[in-house]
Amino acid sequence: MARLELRNVVKSYGIYEAVRGIDLEIEDKEFVVFVGPSGCGKSTTLRMIAGLEHITGGDIIIGDQVVNRLGPGKRDIAMVFQNYALYPHMSVRENIAFCLEQQRLPKSEIETRILDAARTLHIEELLDRRPGQLSGGQRQRVAMGRAIVRNPKVFLFDEPLSNLDAKLRVQMRTEIKRLHQVLPTTTVYVTHDQIEAMTMADRVVVMNGGLIEQCGPPQRLYHHPATRFVAGFIGSPAMNFLEARLVDVAGQLVVRLEDGTDLPVPSERAALYASRTGRPVTFGIRPEAVSAAQQRSGYAALTARIDLVEPLGPSTMIYFDVGTTTLCASIDPEAGARAGEDIVLSVNMNQMHLFDAETGVSLTPLP
Amino acid sequence: MSRTLPTSAPMPARERLGFAAFILVSVVFALFFLLPIVWSFANSFKPAAEALAHPVALFSKAFSLENYRRLNTVGAGWTVYAGNSVMIALGTVVLTVLVAVPAGYGFSKFRFPGQSALFIVVMATMMIPFQSILTPLFLILKVLKLQNSLFGLVLIYVTFQLPFSIFMMRNAFDAVPRALIEAARIDGASQWTILRRIMLPIALPGVATIAMFAFLNSWNEFLAALIFLSDQNKFTLPIMLVNVSSGIYGIIDWGALQAGVTVTMVPCIILFLLLQRYYVRGLTAGAVK
Repeated sequence: MARLELRNVVKSYGIYEAVRGIDLEIEDKEFVVFVGPSGCGKSTTLRMIAGLEHITGGDIIIGDQVVNRLGPGKRDIAMVFQNYALYPHMSVRENIAFCLEQQRLPKSEIETRILDAARTLHIEELLDRRPGQLSGGQRQRVAMGRAIVRNPKVFLFDEPLSNLDAKLRVQMRTEIKRLHQVLPTTTVYVTHDQIEAMTMADRVVVMNGGLIEQCGPPQRLYHHPATRFVAGFIGSPAMNFLEARLVDVAGQLVVRLEDGTDLPVPSERAALYASRTGRPVTFGIRPEAVSAAQQRSGYAALTARIDLVEPLGPSTMIYFDVGTTTLCASIDPEAGARAGEDIVLSVNMNQMHLFDAETGVSLTPLP
Repeated sequence: MSRTLPTSAPMPARERLGFAAFILVSVVFALFFLLPIVWSFANSFKPAAEALAHPVALFSKAFSLENYRRLNTVGAGWTVYAGNSVMIALGTVVLTVLVAVPAGYGFSKFRFPGQSALFIVVMATMMIPFQSILTPLFLILKVLKLQNSLFGLVLIYVTFQLPFSIFMMRNAFDAVPRALIEAARIDGASQWTILRRIMLPIALPGVATIAMFAFLNSWNEFLAALIFLSDQNKFTLPIMLVNVSSGIYGIIDWGALQAGVTVTMVPCIILFLLLQRYYVRGLTAGAVK
């Protein structure tokens, strides 16, 4: 177990910079999830930590040691791959034993460690099978067994659940989290699924264009996104965005939407944005913050014609247009929304987000 | 009221007829290819008197090894020629595998300057007709004092076998996911361990394919063996067959010839049957994901 530090890590392929200088400190036993769209540099970063990619600049430190020039086998890390990467011609036992054999451990110890790992992951009865005879979930468990048997300083997971079906993915997600509670080891987990990131991480690192966009606990990223990108990436369904302008109407600061609708900014937050009066902003509101409930203090009314209704059970998603933008709201199923009907929605302005229209940076100071 | 559904519907008459025709045509084709083999095999065990009997019978009631005994009186004897052929074939197989496997691995999994150019050059040698370089090869072997040597012949066979074998092995290794190598590197395995314990067992069909090609080509090769070997005791089975078929004073000993044909083809057939499941997998490696 060890802490992991990235200091101004850069990765270039010719003139293309895949990772453009990232700094990150991961504490011992911390579970950190890298999340971001395809090509954002998250997998490259993970592969650099693993030693599978050379770094172009900066330092990677595991424990107290700079590992830039150490090969993957010497970094004392274990990695679980997206496609499991189990050796197809070896049994599960041989797969798990392989790394221990490379360390030239005595056979008795290898066997003890295999059985311990198998017990932890409930794969004792699979030890003599080949990977081809296992289901996706079982293969994933074996891949994790191969990782934990080494008792490494750092666990690396490269989108390990992507190849599983939706139900199994949820199940394995819980298992990985439970495993981390049983064997608290520094973990770096890469995914493009923000739900995995939110549910598993102690801290989420959102990457975009080779840079860290924001890093923090899941709830903080959800409630206090630093940029429009983070706000749009974290949360499902995604946050609604509307181009707008901050306007002072008779001493009341309002967000004026494209179609002329005014949404009053609550007085307690008005001071934060007063300096932006008259300037274009991006207004962001999560679907959960738009409801069909009665108007209350701090809420703004929005009249819309429903385009589409998606009943999900506990809530109903409705889609409607404001100006040229389609928005989504999560409303009470009892509200009886129907496509083609007009509805008066309540927008919880205490949960609104405002971003600079050009840079996308949040206008709300981060806590 | 319960009704049980038939487990499989009976085949319509037209489909059955088509299937029967397909079987018939397949059997005819199989016979067409198998009969010469069976014919040689059966004739090799006939007594000399029956070899030219009229009307011909496929199998004789009398079983005789006389043809094989007579074959042993041709030149140094078929056992010596078979021994030479075995040495040459095994030598070619071993050397080809030893060179083609690491070369294919290198071309498949490493990136180095001039890689594509080098690969094209290696492949381009396949386009050179063997006959066109016989003279230079003869001179080179003479300089190396490997003329009239089984080892010299092995080197020539290996040289001609390598381009195809390297190509095959590169394809075989290409089909192995890169993640397996990466997993092994993280597990702390050296390059040698990765090749020996991970890559080679997975690429075994490719190895079997190149081994079989090397064996068959060197076993059956005639021209180079005829030109580069001058000592009768070093001849191979194909040269012996020519000697048998040309006969003494134009009289061909058909029985001995059939025995020679049998001796020559049986190892090939056995090898093919043993390795065929690897062989087919090896040839199609990398064709689809």
